[in-house]
Amino acid sequence: MKNKQVIETGLRLRKRMKKLSAFLVAFFGQFLFVAYAMAEEASGAGSSGGSLVAIGAGICMGMAALGGTLGQGRAVASALEGVARNPGAASKVQTPMILGLALIESLVLFSFVIAIMLVGKV
Amino acid sequence: MEHGFSLLEWLFPSVINSKSGHVFSALIVAILLILASFLYRKSLKKSADEVIPEGRVSLKNIFQVVVEGVFNFMESVIGHNAHKYVPLIGTVFIYVLVNSLLGAIPGFSPATANVSTNLAVSLTVFVYYNYLGIKEQGFKNYLHHFMGPIIYIAPLMMLIELISHFVRPLTLAVRLFGNLTGDHIVLGIFSDLVPLVVPVIFMAFGIFVSLVQAFVFSLLSTVYIGLAVAHEEH
Repeated sequence: MKNKQVIETGLRLRKRMKKLSAFLVAFFGQFLFVAYAMAEEASGAGSSGGSLVAIGAGICMGMAALGGTLGQGRAVASALEGVARNPGAASKVQTPMILGLALIESLVLFSFVIAIMLVGKV
Repeated sequence: MEHGFSLLEWLFPSVINSKSGHVFSALIVAILLILASFLYRKSLKKSADEVIPEGRVSLKNIFQVVVEGVFNFMESVIGHNAHKYVPLIGTVFIYVLVNSLLGAIPGFSPATANVSTNLAVSLTVFVYYNYLGIKEQGFKNYLHHFMGPIIYIAPLMMLIELISHFVRPLTLAVRLFGNLTGDHIVLGIFSDLVPLVVPVIFMAFGIFVSLVQAFVFSLLSTVYIGLAVAHEEH
Protein backbone atom coordinates (compact mmCIF):
# COMPACT_ATOMS: atom_id res chain seq x y z
CA MET A 1 0.00 0.00 0.00
CA LYS A 2 2.66 2.42 1.06
CA ASN A 3 4.83 1.31 -1.81
CA LYS A 4 2.11 2.20 -4.31
CA GLN A 5 1.76 5.62 -2.79
CA VAL A 6 5.46 6.24 -3.09
CA ILE A 7 5.43 5.19 -6.72
CA GLU A 8 2.49 7.48 -7.40
CA THR A 9 4.15 10.47 -5.84
CA GLY A 10 7.27 9.66 -7.78
CA LEU A 11 5.34 9.58 -11.04
CA ARG A 12 3.67 12.85 -10.24
CA LEU A 13 6.97 14.40 -9.39
CA ARG A 14 8.46 13.16 -12.61
CA LYS A 15 5.56 14.64 -14.59
CA ARG A 16 6.04 17.92 -12.85
CA MET A 17 9.76 17.81 -13.51
CA LYS A 18 9.06 17.16 -17.17
CA LYS A 19 6.80 20.18 -17.34
CA LEU A 20 9.33 22.26 -15.47
CA SER A 21 12.18 21.19 -17.69
CA ALA A 22 10.17 21.92 -20.84
CA PHE A 23 9.43 25.33 -19.45
CA LEU A 24 13.08 25.90 -18.57
CA VAL A 25 14.23 24.82 -22.01
CA ALA A 26 11.76 27.21 -23.63
CA PHE A 27 12.74 29.96 -21.23
CA PHE A 28 16.47 29.69 -21.77
CA GLY A 29 16.07 28.88 -25.45
CA GLN A 30 14.44 32.22 -25.86
CA PHE A 31 17.47 33.93 -24.35
CA LEU A 32 19.68 31.94 -26.64
CA PHE A 33 17.68 33.17 -29.60
CA VAL A 34 17.91 36.74 -28.43
CA ALA A 35 21.65 36.42 -27.97
CA TYR A 36 21.94 34.90 -31.41
CA ALA A 37 19.86 37.65 -33.02
CA MET A 38 21.87 40.30 -31.19
CA ALA A 39 25.13 38.76 -32.29
CA GLU A 40 23.81 38.70 -35.83
CA GLU A 41 22.87 42.33 -35.62
CA ALA A 42 26.24 43.29 -34.21
CA SER A 43 28.15 41.40 -36.85
CA GLY A 44 25.80 42.57 -39.63
CA ALA A 45 26.84 46.18 -39.16
CA GLY A 46 24.17 48.30 -40.79
CA SER A 47 20.95 47.50 -42.57
CA SER A 48 21.51 43.84 -43.42
CA GLY A 49 19.29 41.89 -41.03
CA GLY A 50 20.04 38.53 -42.58
CA SER A 51 17.83 35.55 -43.14
CA LEU A 52 16.26 35.63 -39.67
CA VAL A 53 14.41 38.82 -40.49
CA ALA A 54 13.04 37.31 -43.68
CA ILE A 55 11.84 34.25 -41.75
CA GLY A 56 10.31 36.59 -39.19
CA ALA A 57 8.41 38.47 -41.88
CA GLY A 58 7.11 35.23 -43.35
CA ILE A 59 6.00 33.82 -40.00
CA CYS A 60 4.45 37.17 -39.09
CA MET A 61 2.27 37.25 -42.20
CA GLY A 62 1.41 33.55 -42.00
CA MET A 63 0.27 33.66 -38.40
CA ALA A 64 -1.67 36.87 -38.99
CA ALA A 65 -3.47 35.29 -41.94
CA LEU A 66 -4.20 32.17 -39.89
CA GLY A 67 -5.69 34.05 -36.96
CA GLY A 68 -7.52 36.57 -39.10
CA THR A 69 -9.15 33.96 -41.30
CA LEU A 70 -10.22 31.90 -38.28
CA GLY A 71 -11.87 34.94 -36.76
CA GLN A 72 -13.45 36.14 -39.97
CA GLY A 73 -14.67 32.64 -40.73
CA ARG A 74 -16.48 32.47 -37.42
CA ALA A 75 -17.99 35.92 -37.92
CA VAL A 76 -19.23 35.20 -41.43
CA ALA A 77 -20.47 31.73 -40.47
CA SER A 78 -22.70 33.04 -37.72
CA ALA A 79 -23.88 35.96 -39.85
CA LEU A 80 -24.86 33.54 -42.62
CA GLU A 81 -26.61 31.30 -40.11
CA GLY A 82 -28.62 34.26 -38.95
CA VAL A 83 -29.51 35.24 -42.50
CA ALA A 84 -30.44 31.65 -43.39
CA ARG A 85 -32.84 31.48 -40.48
CA ASN A 86 -34.29 34.90 -41.09
CA PRO A 87 -33.67 36.18 -44.63
CA GLY A 88 -35.45 39.41 -43.80
CA ALA A 89 -32.60 40.39 -41.48
CA ALA A 90 -30.00 40.27 -44.26
CA SER A 91 -29.69 44.03 -44.66
CA LYS A 92 -29.54 44.58 -40.91
CA VAL A 93 -26.90 41.90 -40.37
CA GLN A 94 -24.71 43.13 -43.19
CA THR A 95 -23.45 46.41 -41.76
CA PRO A 96 -22.37 45.10 -38.35
CA MET A 97 -20.80 42.11 -40.06
CA ILE A 98 -18.71 44.29 -42.34
CA LEU A 99 -17.77 46.42 -39.33
CA GLY A 100 -16.63 43.34 -37.42
CA LEU A 101 -14.75 41.98 -40.40
CA ALA A 102 -12.98 45.30 -40.84
CA LEU A 103 -11.97 45.39 -37.19
CA ILE A 104 -10.62 41.83 -37.37
CA GLU A 105 -8.87 42.53 -40.61
CA SER A 106 -7.19 45.66 -39.31
CA LEU A 107 -5.08 43.57 -36.94
CA VAL A 108 -4.02 41.34 -39.82
CA LEU A 109 -3.11 44.47 -41.73
CA PHE A 110 -0.99 45.72 -38.85
CA SER A 111 1.11 42.62 -39.10
CA PHE A 112 1.16 43.04 -42.87
CA VAL A 113 2.58 46.53 -42.44
CA ILE A 114 5.13 45.18 -39.98
CA ALA A 115 6.04 42.43 -42.45
CA ILE A 116 6.61 45.07 -45.12
CA MET A 117 8.86 46.97 -42.74
CA LEU A 118 10.76 43.77 -41.96
CA VAL A 119 11.19 42.92 -45.62
CA GLY A 120 12.56 46.41 -46.12
CA LYS A 121 15.26 45.57 -43.54
CA VAL A 122 16.45 42.37 -45.23
CA MET B 1 8.36 50.33 -52.77
CA GLU B 2 8.53 49.60 -56.46
CA HIS B 3 5.31 50.19 -58.30
CA GLY B 4 6.31 49.45 -61.83
CA PHE B 5 5.14 51.80 -64.51
CA SER B 6 3.69 55.12 -63.44
CA LEU B 7 1.96 57.34 -65.95
CA LEU B 8 2.56 60.55 -64.07
CA GLU B 9 6.27 59.85 -63.70
CA TRP B 10 6.47 59.09 -67.38
CA LEU B 11 4.67 62.30 -68.36
CA PHE B 12 6.46 64.67 -65.99
CA PRO B 13 9.76 63.02 -65.09
CA SER B 14 11.31 66.20 -63.70
CA VAL B 15 8.58 66.98 -61.14
CA ILE B 16 7.13 63.64 -60.16
CA ASN B 17 8.99 60.72 -58.68
CA SER B 18 7.89 57.78 -56.58
CA LYS B 19 7.70 60.04 -53.53
CA SER B 20 5.67 62.94 -54.90
CA GLY B 21 3.49 60.80 -57.17
CA HIS B 22 0.89 60.22 -54.49
CA VAL B 23 0.57 63.93 -53.82
CA PHE B 24 -0.11 64.57 -57.47
CA SER B 25 -2.68 61.83 -57.79
CA ALA B 26 -4.44 63.22 -54.71
CA LEU B 27 -4.32 66.63 -56.37
CA ILE B 28 -5.82 65.26 -59.57
CA VAL B 29 -8.64 63.63 -57.61
CA ALA B 30 -9.30 66.84 -55.66
CA ILE B 31 -9.48 68.90 -58.86
CA LEU B 32 -11.75 66.33 -60.51
CA LEU B 33 -14.11 66.27 -57.55
CA ILE B 34 -14.26 70.06 -57.30
CA LEU B 35 -15.04 70.32 -61.01
CA ALA B 36 -17.68 67.60 -60.75
CA SER B 37 -19.37 69.29 -57.81
CA PHE B 38 -19.44 72.63 -59.66
CA LEU B 39 -21.07 70.90 -62.62
CA TYR B 40 -23.57 69.24 -60.29
CA ARG B 41 -24.43 72.57 -58.72
CA LYS B 42 -24.98 74.07 -62.14
CA SER B 43 -27.27 71.20 -63.14
CA LEU B 44 -29.28 71.75 -59.96
CA LYS B 45 -29.87 75.40 -60.81
CA LYS B 46 -30.97 74.50 -64.30
CA SER B 47 -33.64 72.07 -63.15
CA ALA B 48 -34.81 73.40 -59.83
CA ASP B 49 -38.44 72.45 -60.36
CA GLU B 50 -37.89 69.03 -61.85
CA VAL B 51 -39.97 66.24 -60.33
CA ILE B 52 -39.10 63.23 -62.44
CA PRO B 53 -35.39 62.35 -62.39
CA GLU B 54 -33.48 62.10 -65.62
CA GLY B 55 -33.80 58.79 -67.38
CA ARG B 56 -30.13 58.25 -68.10
CA VAL B 57 -26.96 57.92 -66.09
CA SER B 58 -25.87 61.50 -65.65
CA LEU B 59 -23.54 63.25 -63.24
CA LYS B 60 -26.54 64.43 -61.30
CA ASN B 61 -27.95 60.94 -60.85
CA ILE B 62 -24.59 59.54 -59.78
CA PHE B 63 -24.18 62.27 -57.18
CA GLN B 64 -27.66 61.74 -55.85
CA VAL B 65 -27.23 57.99 -55.55
CA VAL B 66 -23.95 58.37 -53.65
CA VAL B 67 -25.17 61.10 -51.32
CA GLU B 68 -28.41 59.29 -50.63
CA GLY B 69 -26.52 56.08 -49.91
CA VAL B 70 -24.21 57.84 -47.47
CA PHE B 71 -27.16 59.55 -45.81
CA ASN B 72 -29.09 56.29 -45.45
CA PHE B 73 -26.31 54.33 -43.80
CA MET B 74 -25.48 57.26 -41.52
CA GLU B 75 -29.10 57.44 -40.48
CA SER B 76 -29.10 53.74 -39.71
CA VAL B 77 -26.09 54.21 -37.41
CA ILE B 78 -26.65 57.58 -35.71
CA GLY B 79 -30.40 58.06 -36.01
CA HIS B 80 -32.45 61.12 -36.85
CA ASN B 81 -29.59 63.59 -36.25
CA ALA B 82 -27.52 62.13 -39.06
CA HIS B 83 -28.11 64.92 -41.57
CA LYS B 84 -25.91 67.26 -39.50
CA TYR B 85 -22.83 65.11 -40.07
CA VAL B 86 -23.39 64.13 -43.70
CA PRO B 87 -21.21 66.92 -45.20
CA LEU B 88 -17.90 65.77 -43.68
CA ILE B 89 -18.50 62.03 -43.80
CA GLY B 90 -19.86 62.24 -47.34
CA THR B 91 -16.80 64.20 -48.40
CA VAL B 92 -14.50 61.70 -46.74
CA PHE B 93 -16.34 58.79 -48.37
CA ILE B 94 -16.23 60.27 -51.87
CA TYR B 95 -12.63 61.43 -51.54
CA VAL B 96 -11.36 58.08 -50.24
CA LEU B 97 -13.42 56.13 -52.76
CA VAL B 98 -12.28 58.09 -55.81
CA ASN B 99 -8.68 58.08 -54.60
CA SER B 100 -8.74 54.32 -54.16
CA LEU B 101 -10.48 53.75 -57.48
CA LEU B 102 -7.71 55.68 -59.18
CA GLY B 103 -5.50 52.70 -58.39
CA ALA B 104 -7.63 50.54 -60.68
CA ILE B 105 -6.46 52.56 -63.68
CA PRO B 106 -3.15 51.15 -64.92
CA GLY B 107 -0.34 53.65 -64.59
CA PHE B 108 -1.77 55.47 -61.58
CA SER B 109 -0.83 54.89 -57.99
CA PRO B 110 -3.66 55.64 -55.56
CA ALA B 111 -2.97 58.32 -52.97
CA THR B 112 -4.62 56.16 -50.31
CA ALA B 113 -1.78 53.68 -50.68
CA ASN B 114 0.29 56.28 -48.84
CA VAL B 115 -0.11 56.42 -45.08
CA SER B 116 0.16 60.23 -44.96
CA THR B 117 -2.99 60.80 -47.02
CA ASN B 118 -4.97 58.45 -44.82
CA LEU B 119 -3.57 59.95 -41.65
CA ALA B 120 -4.60 63.42 -42.83
CA VAL B 121 -8.17 62.27 -43.43
CA SER B 122 -8.43 60.24 -40.24
CA LEU B 123 -6.97 63.02 -38.08
CA THR B 124 -9.60 65.36 -39.53
CA VAL B 125 -12.26 62.89 -38.45
CA PHE B 126 -10.61 62.58 -35.02
CA VAL B 127 -10.62 66.34 -34.41
CA TYR B 128 -14.14 66.62 -35.78
CA TYR B 129 -15.73 64.00 -33.55
CA ASN B 130 -14.02 65.31 -30.45
CA TYR B 131 -15.21 68.82 -31.32
CA LEU B 132 -18.73 67.49 -31.84
CA GLY B 133 -18.66 65.62 -28.55
CA ILE B 134 -17.61 68.74 -26.64
CA LYS B 135 -20.13 70.89 -28.51
CA GLU B 136 -23.08 68.56 -28.03
CA GLN B 137 -22.48 67.54 -24.43
CA GLY B 138 -20.36 70.28 -22.98
CA PHE B 139 -16.74 69.89 -21.93
CA LYS B 140 -17.50 68.49 -18.49
CA ASN B 141 -19.95 65.86 -19.63
CA TYR B 142 -17.73 64.80 -22.48
CA LEU B 143 -14.82 64.39 -20.10
CA HIS B 144 -17.07 62.40 -17.83
CA HIS B 145 -17.32 59.82 -20.60
CA PHE B 146 -13.66 59.06 -20.10
CA MET B 147 -13.98 58.44 -16.38
CA GLY B 148 -15.99 55.25 -16.45
CA PRO B 149 -18.99 54.43 -14.28
CA ILE B 150 -17.29 54.48 -10.85
CA ILE B 151 -15.07 57.27 -9.61
CA TYR B 152 -12.58 54.93 -7.86
CA ILE B 153 -11.36 53.42 -11.11
CA ALA B 154 -11.34 56.75 -12.94
CA PRO B 155 -7.52 56.99 -13.30
CA LEU B 156 -7.34 53.54 -14.88
CA MET B 157 -10.35 54.14 -17.13
CA MET B 158 -8.94 57.51 -18.16
CA LEU B 159 -5.75 55.86 -19.33
CA ILE B 160 -7.54 53.10 -21.22
CA GLU B 161 -10.02 55.47 -22.82
CA LEU B 162 -7.31 57.92 -23.87
CA ILE B 163 -5.32 55.14 -25.51
CA SER B 164 -8.38 53.74 -27.25
CA HIS B 165 -9.24 57.20 -28.55
CA PHE B 166 -5.77 58.03 -29.80
CA VAL B 167 -5.48 54.65 -31.49
CA ARG B 168 -8.59 55.31 -33.56
CA PRO B 169 -7.14 57.64 -36.23
CA LEU B 170 -4.08 55.42 -36.40
CA THR B 171 -6.08 52.27 -37.04
CA LEU B 172 -8.28 54.03 -39.58
CA ALA B 173 -5.24 55.20 -41.50
CA VAL B 174 -3.28 51.97 -41.29
CA ARG B 175 -6.28 49.83 -42.28
CA LEU B 176 -6.84 51.79 -45.46
CA PHE B 177 -3.12 51.94 -46.20
CA GLY B 178 -2.62 48.21 -45.67
CA ASN B 179 -5.57 47.24 -47.81
CA LEU B 180 -4.71 49.46 -50.72
CA THR B 181 -0.99 48.73 -50.61
CA GLY B 182 -1.55 45.01 -50.32
CA ASP B 183 -4.00 45.10 -53.18
CA HIS B 184 -1.58 47.05 -55.32
CA ILE B 185 1.30 44.69 -54.56
CA VAL B 186 -0.81 41.62 -55.37
CA LEU B 187 -1.88 43.20 -58.65
CA GLY B 188 1.73 44.06 -59.47
CA ILE B 189 2.98 40.54 -58.72
CA PHE B 190 0.29 38.85 -60.78
CA SER B 191 0.83 41.26 -63.67
CA ASP B 192 4.48 40.21 -63.60
CA LEU B 193 3.63 36.50 -63.49
CA VAL B 194 0.87 36.45 -66.10
CA PRO B 195 0.65 39.69 -68.09
CA LEU B 196 -2.63 38.80 -69.82
CA VAL B 197 -6.20 38.21 -68.60
CA VAL B 198 -5.38 37.09 -65.02
CA PRO B 199 -4.67 40.62 -63.66
CA VAL B 200 -8.23 41.59 -64.64
CA ILE B 201 -9.53 39.45 -61.77
CA PHE B 202 -7.32 41.34 -59.35
CA MET B 203 -8.36 44.68 -60.82
CA ALA B 204 -11.99 43.74 -60.20
CA PHE B 205 -11.00 42.66 -56.71
CA GLY B 206 -9.24 46.01 -56.29
CA ILE B 207 -12.43 47.88 -57.17
CA PHE B 208 -14.33 45.76 -54.64
CA VAL B 209 -11.68 46.44 -51.98
CA SER B 210 -11.81 50.18 -52.69
CA LEU B 211 -15.58 50.24 -52.28
CA VAL B 212 -15.55 48.20 -49.08
CA GLN B 213 -12.69 50.15 -47.54
CA ALA B 214 -14.22 53.53 -48.34
CA PHE B 215 -17.44 52.23 -46.80
CA VAL B 216 -15.64 50.91 -43.73
CA PHE B 217 -13.70 54.15 -43.28
CA SER B 218 -16.83 56.29 -43.33
CA LEU B 219 -18.81 53.75 -41.31
CA LEU B 220 -16.24 53.76 -38.52
CA SER B 221 -16.05 57.56 -38.60
CA THR B 222 -19.83 57.63 -38.29
CA VAL B 223 -19.72 55.21 -35.37
CA TYR B 224 -17.13 57.39 -33.61
CA ILE B 225 -19.26 60.48 -34.15
CA GLY B 226 -22.31 58.58 -32.95
CA LEU B 227 -20.49 57.52 -29.77
CA ALA B 228 -19.24 61.05 -29.15
CA VAL B 229 -22.58 62.80 -29.54
CA ALA B 230 -24.77 60.13 -27.91
CA HIS B 231 -26.48 61.42 -24.81
CA GLU B 232 -26.41 58.98 -21.97
CA GLU B 233 -29.91 57.96 -21.10
CA HIS B 234 -30.22 56.28 -17.74
